[in-house]
Amino acid sequence: MELLKRNKALTGVLAVLVVVGVGCYIAQLVGGLAMTGMNNGTSWGLYITCFMFFVGLSAGGLIVASSASIFHIKKFKQVAMPAVILSTVCICIAGLFVLIDLGGLYRVWRILTGPNPTSPLIWDICVITCYLVINIFYLHFMRKGNDHAVSIVSRFALPVAILVHSVTAWIFGLENAKEGWYTAILAPIFVASALDSGLALLLLALTGLRRKGIFEVSQDLIASLAGLLATCVAVDAFFIGCELLTTAYPGTEAGVLILSELTAGPTAPFFWIEILCGLVLPFCILVFAKNRQNSVLVCVASGLIVLGVFFKRIWLLFTSFITPDVYGAPGLISGSSVARHAQGVDSFAVISSYAPTAIEIFVVLGVLALGFLAFMALTGWLIGAGKNATATEQAAPATA
Amino acid sequence: MTRLAIVISKDRCVGCHTCALSCKMQNNIPEGLMWNRVLTEGCDVTDGAQGTYPNLTRTYLPVACQHCQNAACQRVCPTGATYKDDKGRVEIDYDKCIGCRMCMAACPYNARVFNWSEPERLTQANYGDARVPVRPKGVVEKCTLCKERTDDGEKPMCVICCPGHARFYGDLDDPESDVAKLVRDKHATALLEEMGTQPSVHYFE
Repeated sequence: MELLKRNKALTGVLAVLVVVGVGCYIAQLVGGLAMTGMNNGTSWGLYITCFMFFVGLSAGGLIVASSASIFHIKKFKQVAMPAVILSTVCICIAGLFVLIDLGGLYRVWRILTGPNPTSPLIWDICVITCYLVINIFYLHFMRKGNDHAVSIVSRFALPVAILVHSVTAWIFGLENAKEGWYTAILAPIFVASALDSGLALLLLALTGLRRKGIFEVSQDLIASLAGLLATCVAVDAFFIGCELLTTAYPGTEAGVLILSELTAGPTAPFFWIEILCGLVLPFCILVFAKNRQNSVLVCVASGLIVLGVFFKRIWLLFTSFITPDVYGAPGLISGSSVARHAQGVDSFAVISSYAPTAIEIFVVLGVLALGFLAFMALTGWLIGAGKNATATEQAAPATA
Repeated sequence: MTRLAIVISKDRCVGCHTCALSCKMQNNIPEGLMWNRVLTEGCDVTDGAQGTYPNLTRTYLPVACQHCQNAACQRVCPTGATYKDDKGRVEIDYDKCIGCRMCMAACPYNARVFNWSEPERLTQANYGDARVPVRPKGVVEKCTLCKERTDDGEKPMCVICCPGHARFYGDLDDPESDVAKLVRDKHATALLEEMGTQPSVHYFE
């Protein structure tokens, strides 16, 4: 709570955003999902984009923390606490976005009474629940200082963290109706972007906590995390390159269509910004050891990577919704005339489009603010209290 | 086994949209939703044409749920709200639908529509067949192959109302049925066969 009290203005602003978000969500519950920009053509929107994004942010943090423990990377063990806190907060946010996106929240218990084992969504719910439980155990054992228990939990945490993002990828990657989603490399792409966005967010959080004097990290550690980040960005770029080449090379009608929409269509700005500012630019910054010692440059690169991965979620999700597989006029009926302000013939569209409404954006901002508050509260509680102890502990390996 | 199906003659379809509207009436479909749409194939304007003058063609493609044997929507539904019944139809149990819209993303035919808001009807009253259940806000719906009619031995409303006699209804698993003969003799095809969904609805020219 210490962190919340010390930053009263920030806490106040975030609290207001949460209240506004809750208000907008209530409006959405009353009016239905018609309050959002989603429609029968583009049936998933900003909420599902954020869901994918936050599962990734979460998995990244836990993968760093647990590999540090499994592979005995002493240096990285120091950041395990903030990494796992970040990971816990992000997975809760991700879960929240799925619930917000449901049209019939009050029937959600049906998942428990009659789960369909062939649905990737069921498996995602199982894996995310396991993952959250593991995160909580991880935090608990770290707080108790039980290293043996931490090392056991981390052996479960790493595979589950990789799985959590793979299963999320399979929600999309197993649908052969969507040309842009249906690829075996989607799960590896998701894991790679989880690593780079999660690590980038961790670096931002560590720098922020260091500036506030909550948690001390050496510049050396930041630099070596930044080096790892550069590698992850390169792997991510490699996977995306593989996917683009495989889509483009045979020159099939569907493949060419997807690529033309991606490179010159409505989702093109997101695609190009991701490639240039989310992959190329940060990699060029972080690949030089001198830049990795500069915490401002590391923060800029990390910010760009987080933004880039968010844009990637956008182009990945929406490009496949644009042109229906069975093409012809008048096309699809929107179904959501409130958001579209369209009736009669105008409610049909040959090509599907989507733009989030103000309600959707405020709900998302509210959830983000809630996550920020939760992170501040948890770091205050779990790190702030034992700050002096960890600071002295850290001094030893730093000099070694 | 029974595999109820609709077989459509693209030669006989004149693009009048009667099937789409009779479906809307029969099934009490609210504003902004359709279970059955008549597309002008490959065109971005209704009643447009494909090709370059003077070599033009115009074909209509009525599209509703294809009642696939290997239904992508049924596979991804987390609660089993979408199911295949013993007559080969793909149906939805509205009480089980949580509105996740996974099925809408999985269906290659965009046959599914969602109740984004509290259903509104121009007449301010339910105009559909009394046997058809009224769907609440937040559930997915689609062509049921007129479940309530076909259960009682009647033909689907779109088949009854088609003025061009372009639509045929029957059991594909009965080799002597009209639809089985049409599929056999006219070399009828299914939409997007390459997706492997094995639709029951067939088209022939």
